[in-house]
Amino acid sequence: MDSIIRRRTAAYVCRSCIQRTRNHIQQRAYSRAAQPDIYDVVCVGGGPAGLSLLTALRANPVTSHFRIALVEAQDLSKMQSWKLPPDRFSNRCSSLTPSSALFLDKIGAWDHLARDRVQPYHEMQVWDGVSDARIEFDWAPDAAPSADTTIAYMTENLNLTSGLLKRLAQLGGVSVFDSARVEKISLGEQTEAQDLREWPVVNLAGGRQLFARLLVGADGADSPVRSFAGIEARGWDYGRHGVVATLELQGEGWGGDQMKTAYQRFLPTGPVAMLPLPGNYSTLVWSTTPENASLLKRLPTKDFVALVNAAFRLRPTDLEFMHTQSKGQAEEYSWRMEHTPSHGKLIPQVVTGVQEGTIASFPLKMRHADTYIGERVALVGDAAHTIHPLAGQGLNQGQGDVQSLAKIIEYAVNHGQDIGARLSLEPYLAERYATNHVLMGVCDKLHKLYSVGSGPLVPLRSLGLNAVNVLGPLKKFVMSQAAGHGIKVF
Amino acid sequence: MGVAIRRSVGLAGLAGRSAHTLRPCIAIASLPSPLNQQYSAPSRPPPNYPGHVPLNRLEKAALAIGSGLMSLRDPRRGDLIAAFAEATATPYFIYRLQDAMLASPTGRRILRDRPRITSTSLNLPYLRALAPNTVGRTYIDWLDREGVSPDTRAAVRYIDDAECAYVMQRYRECHDFYHALTGLPVVREGEVALKAFEFANTLLPMTGLSVFAAATLKAPERRRFVGTYLPWAVRNGLRAREVINVYWEEELETDVDELRRRLGVEAPPDLRAIRKAEREERRRKAAEGGV
Repeated sequence: MDSIIRRRTAAYVCRSCIQRTRNHIQQRAYSRAAQPDIYDVVCVGGGPAGLSLLTALRANPVTSHFRIALVEAQDLSKMQSWKLPPDRFSNRCSSLTPSSALFLDKIGAWDHLARDRVQPYHEMQVWDGVSDARIEFDWAPDAAPSADTTIAYMTENLNLTSGLLKRLAQLGGVSVFDSARVEKISLGEQTEAQDLREWPVVNLAGGRQLFARLLVGADGADSPVRSFAGIEARGWDYGRHGVVATLELQGEGWGGDQMKTAYQRFLPTGPVAMLPLPGNYSTLVWSTTPENASLLKRLPTKDFVALVNAAFRLRPTDLEFMHTQSKGQAEEYSWRMEHTPSHGKLIPQVVTGVQEGTIASFPLKMRHADTYIGERVALVGDAAHTIHPLAGQGLNQGQGDVQSLAKIIEYAVNHGQDIGARLSLEPYLAERYATNHVLMGVCDKLHKLYSVGSGPLVPLRSLGLNAVNVLGPLKKFVMSQAAGHGIKVF
Repeated sequence: MGVAIRRSVGLAGLAGRSAHTLRPCIAIASLPSPLNQQYSAPSRPPPNYPGHVPLNRLEKAALAIGSGLMSLRDPRRGDLIAAFAEATATPYFIYRLQDAMLASPTGRRILRDRPRITSTSLNLPYLRALAPNTVGRTYIDWLDREGVSPDTRAAVRYIDDAECAYVMQRYRECHDFYHALTGLPVVREGEVALKAFEFANTLLPMTGLSVFAAATLKAPERRRFVGTYLPWAVRNGLRAREVINVYWEEELETDVDELRRRLGVEAPPDLRAIRKAEREERRRKAAEGGV
């Protein structure tokens, strides 16, 4: 074009006008060449769910050719190089079921976790704080602990994300936008070249635009991707806070370092759980009222430790009284222990200390998105559903979502489908929605059932718990459903 | 009661052994212990406190039935009433009362200090010297009027948990204070009315079942009980605070009306005065009739 103008007009048009026209043409040529940055998958959120999904896509030869982008607000290099000394543990831990661990192994991330910081446990003691009815979960009560009899793996969340990031770095091929704030998610425009009016665009602070064939929302409970897709999340707040802490125990557990046990006691204010970590450490997750939570965070260490020990040993009346004291729980605890019968090895060992700075709390709520898919949008993890932590299922539900979505994307690729089309994403919704819904419902009803402190419901639920404890097949069914490898009922 | 009860001798306190509760626990169903009460007479576990006599479920049931019937026949048998109270307090009721004490700061102090009310622990001449409307003075005046002493209370024997045994002992020893608080006399009518009040407040089965002793009252007394004192007892027992949590040793100098107001108890019509007036009315009628 440029040479034509020069040849044809050189005789009739002045040099400066020719130059101006040439500049104009060059500008239009640039705007035509500024192609939108289109990715096959843009994942917003670098938590366990998002990282697992990208690792699964990269590790699978069918989907490894994808152009993938990861958007995360935090600094991922810090998360990848996260490291703590062996006697210090982060206070946010999750219980990974064997099926989640199997999936992580399949995508190659399991070996990148700091395995000496992961604690498998083989037994679980759960009991009613009001009536002392008890259920004991153990795959093989008298056998030696092995990988087959593991109930779950206690892992620090930061260990998990660090391992996934290491695996992702090993696989490569992901455009990572970390420390990036998502300013807006919008839809594309129609241009001469293509019609992107139904394609999501992630606008980062600083002007970068990422166009997504499939936009995955793995961005937590207040997901911007979910609100962009116009999907509502319905549910309720529990009016409870989960208090977490890293505890130091008297010993390595009644069964020693090889046979660790998880403990959970249902109090009327909410369940208190002590989950084992390597060595003589444990993590505490205590769901209680906001007032009790703020008291727990205020207490001096000695009184906090006494209150945690009391939570597993004393009756609810004593605990209620101790929650009204602003200090002095240690003395009250030692007096009451003189008049409380010993439970022996059915309860955790005595807590002797708390790791500094690990006492924190977060509000508990239940939310379920109306759907997990939209036009070129899919939700995984907490963006899709938030659950009560009493059964340790939240993170595992996210991993289950990712496993399913990765499989559906692989199927779509193998059958020549557009991975962002609703037709391709529908099987993901069908596979996961009902399963998640039932699990959240069960956890919600358990919470409500055990919130009752007195009355006829207490002996009824104790009867039910004792019944499940002695009915072997029923107990095995419950255990396998919780482990994720049970029969798919829904 | 033809059941042989072996009394254990000389085993004081057994401080090393933890107290037992009777909550069901499947894991220890096989051991002979008060926890499951499956033991037989030859395999009886050792006592938990001085004077403790562990009974198994069958023995407790037999004791409850026997003492209940015999104390109905002769309500002056305080020992039978005491045994009846202990045999019927478990499984649920004494634990509820213990919880009521543990829920209150004063109740907890009582359980820590474990004060006893006897003629030696209370300074009786000091009480007599107190001002007229104080709790202590009302108490000693009532003791003197009815001709009873604080020492007539039997020790608890058949409750297994040591702290629950103290709760029962405390209830028994405070019974006279409840008389002083309400002003009800020692006669059968007054005792039945007070038992109704205690049942509405403490929920001990013996107190509730004692209300059936109203069947043994004379007809006008029964009418008065059903018409006035039973409604009074139920209304006040339910709305009052737990009387088991009153630290009587600290309330001796309090004004009795102020204590009643604090607890939410209203004084019933003076039963002794009513009975005296009725007696005089009957005597007058008899004298007139005779003349």
